[in-house]
Amino acid sequence: MQQKILEIKNLGKSYGETTALANFSLDLAPGEVLGLLGPNGAGKTTLISILSGTLRDFSGSVAFRGQDLFADRRLKNRIGIVPQEMAFYEDLSALENLLFWGGLYDIPEKELKRRALELLAVVELSTRAREPVKKFSGGMKRRLNVAIGLVHRPELLLLDEPTVGIDVQAKVSILDIIREVGRKGTSVVFTTHQLAEVEQTCSRIAIMDQGKILATGTLAELIRIVGEKEIVEVSGEFSATAFSEAIPAPSGAGIEILSVSDDFAMLAFADSQDIPAMMQRLFAHRLHVADLKIKSPSLEAVFLKMTGRSLRD
Amino acid sequence: MSRTTLIIGNDLRRRLRSPMATILFLVIPLAMTGLIGMIFDPGQDNRTKLPPIHLLVVDNDKDIAAKFLLGAFDQKELKEMFQVTLVDAPAGEKLMQKGKASAMLVIPEHFSADLADQKPSRLEVVKNPSEEFLPGVAEEFAATMAVGFSALAQVFADELRIIRGFRSLTLESVTIAEMTPFLEMARAKIIALKTYLSPMLLKVKSVTTKKPGQEGKPLGFNIFSYIFPGMLIMFLLFIIEPSLREIQNERADGKTRRMMFSPLSSLELVTARIFSGWLIGFLVCLLAMAAGMLLFGIDWGRPLLQLALFAIACFWCSAFFAMLNAFFRNKNQAGAFASPIILVFSAFGGSMLPLEQLPAGMRWVGKLTVNNWFITGCRRIMDGASPLLPLTLLAVTGLAFAAVAMIALPRRLSV
Repeated sequence: MQQKILEIKNLGKSYGETTALANFSLDLAPGEVLGLLGPNGAGKTTLISILSGTLRDFSGSVAFRGQDLFADRRLKNRIGIVPQEMAFYEDLSALENLLFWGGLYDIPEKELKRRALELLAVVELSTRAREPVKKFSGGMKRRLNVAIGLVHRPELLLLDEPTVGIDVQAKVSILDIIREVGRKGTSVVFTTHQLAEVEQTCSRIAIMDQGKILATGTLAELIRIVGEKEIVEVSGEFSATAFSEAIPAPSGAGIEILSVSDDFAMLAFADSQDIPAMMQRLFAHRLHVADLKIKSPSLEAVFLKMTGRSLRD
Repeated sequence: MSRTTLIIGNDLRRRLRSPMATILFLVIPLAMTGLIGMIFDPGQDNRTKLPPIHLLVVDNDKDIAAKFLLGAFDQKELKEMFQVTLVDAPAGEKLMQKGKASAMLVIPEHFSADLADQKPSRLEVVKNPSEEFLPGVAEEFAATMAVGFSALAQVFADELRIIRGFRSLTLESVTIAEMTPFLEMARAKIIALKTYLSPMLLKVKSVTTKKPGQEGKPLGFNIFSYIFPGMLIMFLLFIIEPSLREIQNERADGKTRRMMFSPLSSLELVTARIFSGWLIGFLVCLLAMAAGMLLFGIDWGRPLLQLALFAIACFWCSAFFAMLNAFFRNKNQAGAFASPIILVFSAFGGSMLPLEQLPAGMRWVGKLTVNNWFITGCRRIMDGASPLLPLTLLAVTGLAFAAVAMIALPRRLSV
């Protein structure tokens, strides 16, 4: 069995009466890109702070490749972080920032310089490498923020909402970088509010709230876990009675009529493969169907169902 | 390169990249020292130069002794010292009432006759009450004149009587025959007095003290040396404080979390911050030392000792602010408290007013400040005295603050 790159077991942290993390457990396989979804106050930042070593007095354990993460500071050479804040020096250039932040890790000087130049090319900042960062746009700064997290070639990269406050183009660019990093074998934990980003980028999703992991899995697995169904909207020329006779509810075949009126009906399917059979029954009853819309279950719906609130709450 | 050195180097690079604040905090104490020094500077030859004393003279005698007395004011040195205006008594009184002169010298009627007749007479000095020093000089001058004239009148009493016999003292009005007996008498007296007056057995030799190793150099009170150390330590506190406040700024903007994610330890970070503040402060001290010498001619005394004092004082400031930042909750609190603390230190410690001018209570409180011990140390080194006490006090308290910072600050680094 392949060794987990990160194993968090029963992590607990409280601020007075408030519980930030309660028996939080999570693990990550090498090369896995995990999206950590949670509303504000779910405990994401507390988790990142514990992993960074800036938050103490917690219970539980964190192991990196089987070793206690906090027992040996050298292990940090193998982990990178991209904080939510633009955590770099705006009065320095992009290259100087990469050399400074990289210098905190045990990397030979020549290798560091080579790596810094390589990363500047990856984040498309080579032409402006020697300009003070304060002259950069928001998107460029975000890309530099990500590059700094990668400068020491970490095996595990933690990204804390790396796409906050940037335009679509910059967001796409950063998501591409994250995917590329994952593709090259770096494990990634990626916290975000943006469901679409997780759907596009992550191989596995963890939903957390009130300091706990509620569920983890691929998008399809999560949908199955919550029993989320596909919604089909049918419109045409038919009466509500005729439609109900054609597809009696409950149908017993995983089809559920959510609402029906003259010329319009809404159905829920546990399995989208049952949709052609439903159409055949409508045609057999000589009902005229003009339009059919299939709405796939979304991560947002899963999230809502699990946490009882939207990510913006 | 160690991580500590890397952070110190990075801080220095950033300071040099935006040097305005540091330059400003170096220029302001120099400018203030220059300004205050120019106002109170006693002069380049280190002597107190008085403004000319405006002296009114009322001559009620208008005879030969009064003419001698007034003539003395035309002598070079007295001419520079006194600005004499001859007035009559009513005009003089009016001017004195308006405070237009420092003093008024009244030569009484029959002054010359009384001197010639060996009768007591009196020179009167009216002093301006609104001035303290200049009227006193005029009074001293009158007293000296009184002694001199008394002696002359007694020695040359006969000659005076002869001279007073002449109706007017002009070359045309006096014949050689008239002058001959007078000159003979005077000559005889001068020859007789020569035995007593010349050569003088006692002479006064004036010597100015010099510091060891400073022989040949003019020495005097340099007001800039007196002001500048106080200014320097006040602005050193202002220069070093931001380096330590950076701890709070970096904590707020996520840099600390990023640093703590690296193999850097919190002790390394605190050490780097303390020495970063120290380095900036010490470099500014070197510049200030050079600028003080070039601009104000400050003699710092033994340079190596002075540099040691600068180094220890900078360490004290850096460690002190590191310790304070361990107790400040956030950058706003640090920003709000730092400046008042520096100003209180400076007011009580002698940066704003000379230590000697402070009331006893303030002087006592001032002993708890870095400003006091820095200024004392600087002056001791300049005066060739031992700075051991200030150096030791600063070093020991600085180390204690650094130790507290090392223990307490890592907790504050937690996000």
